[in-house]
Amino acid sequence: MKLFNLHKQAAIAACFAFALTNLAKAQSDTTKSPETETTAEDEDFSMYDEVGFADKGAKRYCSPKIEGLSPAKLISLGFDFQGPYKLNLDAFNNNINEGWAENNKHTITSGARFACNIPVISKTSVVWQMGANYWESGYQMMKQGPLAVGYVENPMLKSLYTNGLRTMGINTTLFKPLSDKKFLLFQGSADMSGDYNWKLMPARYMKYSAALIYGKRPSERKQWGVGLARTYRAGELNYIPIIFFNHTDAANKWGSEVLFPARAHVRRTINSRNMLFAGYELEGQSYRLYRMESIRNQDLEIRRAEIRLRAVYEFSLKDFIWMSVQAGYRINYRYDVDRLTNGKEIYRAFGLLSDEPYIMQNTLTNPFYFNVSVNLVSP
Amino acid sequence: MKKILFIAFAAFFGTILSSFVNQDAAGDRLIGVWEPSNGRARVKVEKIGAKYYGKIVWLKEAVDPVTKQPKTDKNNPDPNLQNAPLKGYRMLKDFVYAGKDEWTEGTIYDPLNGSTYSCTIKMTDKNSLEIRGYIGVSALGRTDIWKRLEVKKK
Repeated sequence: MKLFNLHKQAAIAACFAFALTNLAKAQSDTTKSPETETTAEDEDFSMYDEVGFADKGAKRYCSPKIEGLSPAKLISLGFDFQGPYKLNLDAFNNNINEGWAENNKHTITSGARFACNIPVISKTSVVWQMGANYWESGYQMMKQGPLAVGYVENPMLKSLYTNGLRTMGINTTLFKPLSDKKFLLFQGSADMSGDYNWKLMPARYMKYSAALIYGKRPSERKQWGVGLARTYRAGELNYIPIIFFNHTDAANKWGSEVLFPARAHVRRTINSRNMLFAGYELEGQSYRLYRMESIRNQDLEIRRAEIRLRAVYEFSLKDFIWMSVQAGYRINYRYDVDRLTNGKEIYRAFGLLSDEPYIMQNTLTNPFYFNVSVNLVSP
Repeated sequence: MKKILFIAFAAFFGTILSSFVNQDAAGDRLIGVWEPSNGRARVKVEKIGAKYYGKIVWLKEAVDPVTKQPKTDKNNPDPNLQNAPLKGYRMLKDFVYAGKDEWTEGTIYDPLNGSTYSCTIKMTDKNSLEIRGYIGVSALGRTDIWKRLEVKKK
């Protein structure tokens, strides 16, 4: 019995000592105050100047971003408005009897835009994102002059006003660092563009674009690269060289974000949550005219491209929710129509490889435009 | 009989105690100095109470190129903290060891934009961490690989 009591007392003493030790430890911990954001005053940091990797085979890789860059958008929902402007349609040539000239159609173009880019793999050695986008362009006639007796609307114009144009696609981005200063960047996309509705067009009308860039990141504030792109940004298929250049000055007030010729902007950083941009973007796509039965089998595609000179203000509404407001001037670069005989793509190479004429050459006057979007930005 | 009961009780208590100690030891593998993939900073992880915290102990660019003074947390949304030195700043906070080489319930702060993200840490081997910062759900995030550093004795 005595032995049991001794054991009992020893156990109680051990528990008491254990509790006291923990209490003392907790008290000493609270003196460090984990809520204090900084501990700079009580430590000599020079000991961390000389270090080496514990794993001798470890490598350093360059990051896809630089300091001061505008945040990448994970999800974006926006609205785009152009106009009013005058739409002048040429007559179809090349023996397509259903099309005739239409002039001075006062028009506005507007529509919703949605895009998302979700990281699939996000590691030091590789970053892979997949995305999807949906843009619509609704065409609305502002005023209609007196019409001749027996007037029949040009079927393309009718399709624009009743169906509008849509682009829906998926895209992928792969960033592969080669070292702590060099990287490869690949972007690819498959888009379906046309006057379709929820009943989509056949997959053979998809357009494929891609770009490959070899780049360097010589410092925390600069990255540049050169590459080649297959693109429809100028409305029709092109293979073009591209230049990539992002830069931020030492004060993090000014910078540039350039992917020439697609876009180029000068950035003014007010603070890390408020940024202003001035520059341009070249937007374009090739739209299949599919809905109107009278012209469906003619293999017609609108080669639409426009240059948007603009000022953009991007700011944080709350935490990771950002708003982007842009306003500018839309310059029509091309709104012509090609006939793709048997679906065969035309590659003119700016007239060097082919001088095949367009079926229809149209002119649009240049209006002001604005675009607003709400975005969830990436860490 | 009482003696047997006591021994059984002590063994049970000892097992529980040792499992806590083992859990502690497993969690403490996070303690050390780590380098994010961009090599821009070095972060020392330490344990305070039952939680793990990481503070910046080295910066590749320690001096602000404009003010010529040590860098401060100028992007912090709290104006009271914008003059706090970045060296010593706790950018990892409140991590708890959840077992299976994972530390959860913590946050990571990005001094480049002044944002704080939810964060989980996974140790893939004794010298590598996968640090995943995310917004709301883990799918909306980014993973960075941090490597353990050995501090050379002076």
